[in-house]
Amino acid sequence: MDDFEPSVVAFLCNWCSYAGADLAGTSRLKYPANVRPIRVMCSGRVDPVFVMEALKEGIDGVLVAGCHPGDCHYQSGNYKTNRKIKLIKRLLSDLNVDPGRVRFEYISASEGQKFADTVTDFVAQLKEMGPNPLKEGCK
Amino acid sequence: MEGLILVKDGDIASGCNELFKTFLTSGKLEAILVSQETPNGKMAFPALISDPEKLRSNILSPILPVSEASEISRMTINKGSDKPVGVVIRPCQVRALTEIVKLNQANLENIVVISMDCPGTMDVNTFSNLPEGKVPTDIIMDHLLKGTDIDQYLRSSCRTCKDPVPMNADITIGLFGVDLGSGFLVQAHTESGERLLEGVKLEAYKGEREKAIAKVRGGKDAKREAFISSKKEIKGIEAIADFYDKCVNCHNCMNACPICYCKECIFHSSVFDSDANKYVHRAKNKGIMKMPDGALLFHITRMNHMILSCVECGLCEQACPSNIPLMDLLIPVAENAQRELDYYPGKDPDEKLPMVVFREDEYRSVGEK
Ligand code: SF4
Ligand code: SF4
Ligand code: FES
Repeated sequence: MDDFEPSVVAFLCNWCSYAGADLAGTSRLKYPANVRPIRVMCSGRVDPVFVMEALKEGIDGVLVAGCHPGDCHYQSGNYKTNRKIKLIKRLLSDLNVDPGRVRFEYISASEGQKFADTVTDFVAQLKEMGPNPLKEGCK
Repeated sequence: MEGLILVKDGDIASGCNELFKTFLTSGKLEAILVSQETPNGKMAFPALISDPEKLRSNILSPILPVSEASEISRMTINKGSDKPVGVVIRPCQVRALTEIVKLNQANLENIVVISMDCPGTMDVNTFSNLPEGKVPTDIIMDHLLKGTDIDQYLRSSCRTCKDPVPMNADITIGLFGVDLGSGFLVQAHTESGERLLEGVKLEAYKGEREKAIAKVRGGKDAKREAFISSKKEIKGIEAIADFYDKCVNCHNCMNACPICYCKECIFHSSVFDSDANKYVHRAKNKGIMKMPDGALLFHITRMNHMILSCVECGLCEQACPSNIPLMDLLIPVAENAQRELDYYPGKDPDEKLPMVVFREDEYRSVGEK
């Protein structure tokens, strides 16, 4: 499986993680190019349906990143997302899909390095896991 | 406050009906929402009744055609009642009501909740197509009096019910641990419950209720455990896709569910509308695409949205035209999810929903497994 390149969708909060990803880019930090970022106004906007749809369509990993605790522009969007992701992971295990395919991180606007490291690590982890089993089924 | 209400000839249903009548005639209640039999006795539906003469309730009638909690939501979502209204609902529906109050979908202002020990209910079709000579209420009475096994008639959610005895009701009508040949038990748990029972003639109760409840619970718990472990093979994406094979995307399950309340469901919105090019693009992704393709996503998303509050009433399963045994999957998944987030739907009205609370120390990063 050496040539397997996992696909990753990243839902990034406009106020922090998206800027963090931008910083990683402008600072020319090295990280795998497998990520397709989607900007959301708050990590709290990420409904489980987004994550499930991505996985169902065969995306190998979903990253959700939001502001650090206490920093969410809408007070508690990040906390709620945190719990939502916990639940998604629980349901994924019931579906026999590795819950490691979904990741939630706090990444601030100044943490370009953390963004690059998170993506690097996530992609490596997904490579080990292999392709998303949902990709094969036609249903 | 608690005590027995004596009835003639062991006719519990009429005894309860009389009690409800006095609530209306005394003016203590403006109206009462209670399951009412249709004149031919072949069906029963909740009805909101203000005229005591129109009361023809039968709390033993083992059927739950629609969510009573949803009906209370329909009545009170904008405003509670100015005057007291009683609602006679099953224990799972009290739990559902507790959840939808937390979801801001119902308002209990001046709503007096009356519930009863629940022996279980039958699927609508089982109920209305019983063999000649079988009367639903007799089947239930037989079970209560002699312990006859009635599992063959019950919906799977009722066979495996977690809480056949109500919690958070203002008044409980007790059937377990009561000599039903002579009467039934009433218990008031709150001030508004006590106000209703004021002046009602009560005899001292000396039965062993706790013991009887423990026995009923024990039996159901064992069946629930066996049920969950017998459904272990519905795991893995293939098995789950097979499980929903017969789904025709009607969304009846969602409409029947007391917890699913969104007025504009994302699955009825234009979010998934697309154009031919995008469809072809998606088909190319895997080389094949089922049409419509949404069933699995719908079910998994629905689980994500309501599983923590799922009270296992089984109304989704009853509503499914394809007879998909939805509880086979929902019960084990609900059990796991609710344990994971340490939440018991319907138990504590003051406990916040798990999705709106957060402890500073939890899941600092959920990246790791
Ligand atoms: S999902 Fe089914 S069992 Fe659970 S609350 Fe809704 S209707 Fe009842
Ligand atoms: S009621 Fe049955 S057929 Fe209709 S959407 Fe639900 S599972 Fe599918
Ligand atoms: S605004 Fe960034 S997570 Fe809410």
